[in-house]
Amino acid sequence: MNKPVLAIFAAAAALATAPAMAAEFRLPAFDTVKLPNGLTVYLMERHEVPLISIRAVVKAGAVNDDAQPGLSNLTGDALLLGSQAHNKKAIDEAFDFRGARLAGGAGAEASTVQANFATKDAAALLPLFAEIVQQPSFDDAELTKLRDRKVSGLKQAKESPRNVVGTYYRAMLFGSAPYAIPASGTVASVGALKQADVRRYYQQYYRPDNAAIVVVGDFQKDQMRRQIESLFGAWQASGPAPQQQDNGKVQADKARVWLVNKPDAIETTFLIGGAGIARNDADYVPLQVINTILGGRFTSWLNDELRVNSGLTYGASSQFNVLAQTGTFAISSFTASAKTRDALALAHKTYQRLWDNGIDQATLDSAKAYVKGQFPPRYETGEQLAGLLGDMYASNVDRAQIDNFTRDVDSLTPARAKALVDQHFPRDHLQTVLVGKAADIRDVARVYGEVTELDINADGFQPPAN
Amino acid sequence: MRIKFLRKVLAAGLLFGAAATAQAVAADDVQTFTLANGMKFIVLESHTIPNANMYTFWKVGSRNEAPGTTGLSHFFEHMMFNGSKHFGPKMFDRTMEAKGGSNNAYTTNDLTVYQDWFPATSLETIFTLESDRIAHLNIDPKMVASERGVVLSERSTGLENSNIRALQQAVNGVAFLAHPYSWPVIGHESDIKAWTQQDLEHYFKTYYAPNNAVAVIVGDVKVDVVKKLATRYFGKIPKGATPPAVRTVEPPQTGERRIFVTKESATSPNLVVAYKIPVANSPDYYALEVLQSVLTDGKTSRLYKALVEQQLATQVSANGSEGFDPGLLYVYAVAAAKVEPAALERALLAELDNVVNNGITAEELDKVRNQKLVNLYREQETINGKAQQLGNYEVYFGDYKKMFDAPAAYAKLTPADIQAVAAKYLKKSQRTVGVLAAKED
Repeated sequence: MNKPVLAIFAAAAALATAPAMAAEFRLPAFDTVKLPNGLTVYLMERHEVPLISIRAVVKAGAVNDDAQPGLSNLTGDALLLGSQAHNKKAIDEAFDFRGARLAGGAGAEASTVQANFATKDAAALLPLFAEIVQQPSFDDAELTKLRDRKVSGLKQAKESPRNVVGTYYRAMLFGSAPYAIPASGTVASVGALKQADVRRYYQQYYRPDNAAIVVVGDFQKDQMRRQIESLFGAWQASGPAPQQQDNGKVQADKARVWLVNKPDAIETTFLIGGAGIARNDADYVPLQVINTILGGRFTSWLNDELRVNSGLTYGASSQFNVLAQTGTFAISSFTASAKTRDALALAHKTYQRLWDNGIDQATLDSAKAYVKGQFPPRYETGEQLAGLLGDMYASNVDRAQIDNFTRDVDSLTPARAKALVDQHFPRDHLQTVLVGKAADIRDVARVYGEVTELDINADGFQPPAN
Repeated sequence: MRIKFLRKVLAAGLLFGAAATAQAVAADDVQTFTLANGMKFIVLESHTIPNANMYTFWKVGSRNEAPGTTGLSHFFEHMMFNGSKHFGPKMFDRTMEAKGGSNNAYTTNDLTVYQDWFPATSLETIFTLESDRIAHLNIDPKMVASERGVVLSERSTGLENSNIRALQQAVNGVAFLAHPYSWPVIGHESDIKAWTQQDLEHYFKTYYAPNNAVAVIVGDVKVDVVKKLATRYFGKIPKGATPPAVRTVEPPQTGERRIFVTKESATSPNLVVAYKIPVANSPDYYALEVLQSVLTDGKTSRLYKALVEQQLATQVSANGSEGFDPGLLYVYAVAAAKVEPAALERALLAELDNVVNNGITAEELDKVRNQKLVNLYREQETINGKAQQLGNYEVYFGDYKKMFDAPAAYAKLTPADIQAVAAKYLKKSQRTVGVLAAKED
């Protein structure tokens, strides 16, 4: 494999990015319908292949977990454990036998249940999907098994620094605010979750006035609309609607380093950065172009310096990780333990080029062409388009951000880019997470701020409370 | 390597290529031509998005290496991006990205595959870049030096972040005593540090002849334009000698083999049971595909029910290698909390024995057929899925058209056929068992 940096980007960007498009590309037409019970429905026809993608998106996630990290994610997954009318075995068999995919879970701010199946199986599977969303049984025995598996998964995740470095980073940046809560939870918090917790969470947040149903694929819109109305029209909310809450801001009053000790590490995995932008920020699109130059493609400055020129790493990148209310920005790479000092120094030096040298017209033109050229494949499949519509609902993104993409890319000038760099890229008090062998990199860590040491084998993603 | 598994998933989807729906790709939609120098092109027009791709499959991989040069195919893959006659170091990527394109590449035991993704209007730029590096690669010693560091980092980040990778490498080393499938595609660390300029130049001359490649182009293009441009840019590259055949044949395995890997940070044991299976282009191919799906695809699969639902494992999966030479069917499981690897292994083997002794049901076979069909639709939803499928069939089965025979092959299978391949290949004497855990007991 030649270029991991691109794979990482594709994954992150496909989820978080609404932007881009070559001149010819247009977001396919879709209808937005609001049912009397408050449920929002998106319908987009696609007839390239006989498949249908459906997802229920609920505006609730880890930020609503309070003192029970992992509750939203367990609830989203536990929906698949059976409905009032069909047990888990019946549901698994119905979907599996037809080659259908079914998944549930939650991220920071949204919970999602999604399915993908052949058009001819819609009549059999749509009613089951509706049951899963509206009448889950949360069977206690199955829930216990699922919970235990998630606890094992949390331990296993720490075997791979790449899996967890971002969770530490968010925890560091947001401190005690809701955005610091790890979506998958911790071994202790998930291990303590009970059926009653899941039921309460479900009752509070899974309600038609707090949810959307997105359907994309091979169907007739009018017919699908009637079917969705009949399957979800009777869903009723009870009690007061969830209130909007403040999920926190990045804390970067001074440069800090979290050094996460993994005693058998052979390399150091790191993130460096600070505050970013919200998903619906007006500058979202031009910042994607600027970030492409810094760390969003193979010839980006970071990858060129850390990989191509110096051979310090297999890949270096940067990205804005967007949330509904704010976001984070990070430079991301890894290097052999012994090269940690060189790699961190070079990452910092390269990052400062944004201010020291700025962006010239030729580089900007190349990045614009790249972002536009790479856009259409991001929204090629029904699943991808359903993801976009769900993301727009959960993060309050207006479709203008997508419709105006080409204009917003094309109009970016070097002068405007300079202003955006000054406004949005964190320059001072950078925050750093290092996952590696502390004994080998402790001295290097001190160069970049006040160091807090954590043990990767300790539960959770925060330093021990003292 | 990761790509091997990806390939399996893609190929699995392909097998109903001639399904009688309007949406599926039909054999007649695919056009081919071969240049005078032997370079073959497969072209499929697809106009859903204004983009296209070019996947170039070279029939060279780690099976073409020898001790001392292990990992050279993969390293060479990297060097193909580091400069040619008209595009110096960095210019391949810079030129492509400025035209809206991106690229990647991967190396397996058998193949080296280069992938370009671009706005269809940039096709000529892509051909300019690709033909220049094939005709006039420049192996700059300075670039070789920095690229060694990149590949050492690629190797170590794989081992740091994936227990499965560490374990699979160890299992391959034991399962194959003689054949080159025994070493990791990325190579041994000492070889990565040691190969020479001469090794690289020899490799290029030996394997990168146009007659050793198949290019697949799918997207918003016109076949006649592709042909005209391909002739202009690739037609003058001289034909080369046919690369030498791999001589070594793995001797028959005569008993179970075992290996243990210690990794301090492992929180639960990882288990691999790997069985010897034939080359991809074998009459048993489709039955083995079904067997693998019955075992691990979905929550109603045999091993998911026997291991995950029974709380012995947190995950199970299976991957069959597709190769030019006989390879392995890997079955993986990660132990649940407090489950000893021996208990997990017993339960896994018991379920395999169950299939060998009692076979599968007609309903299970129908289920797998349904899964293959829906997976086919998923693959055909993207231009990349289509390019990958066409190329895989062309190189592994000798003709992309064989993908359109797959539906008949699946339809013909009976539960007894699946039981027969289970009995034929899932034998104790033909397996290698690997365990990775924090401590050896």
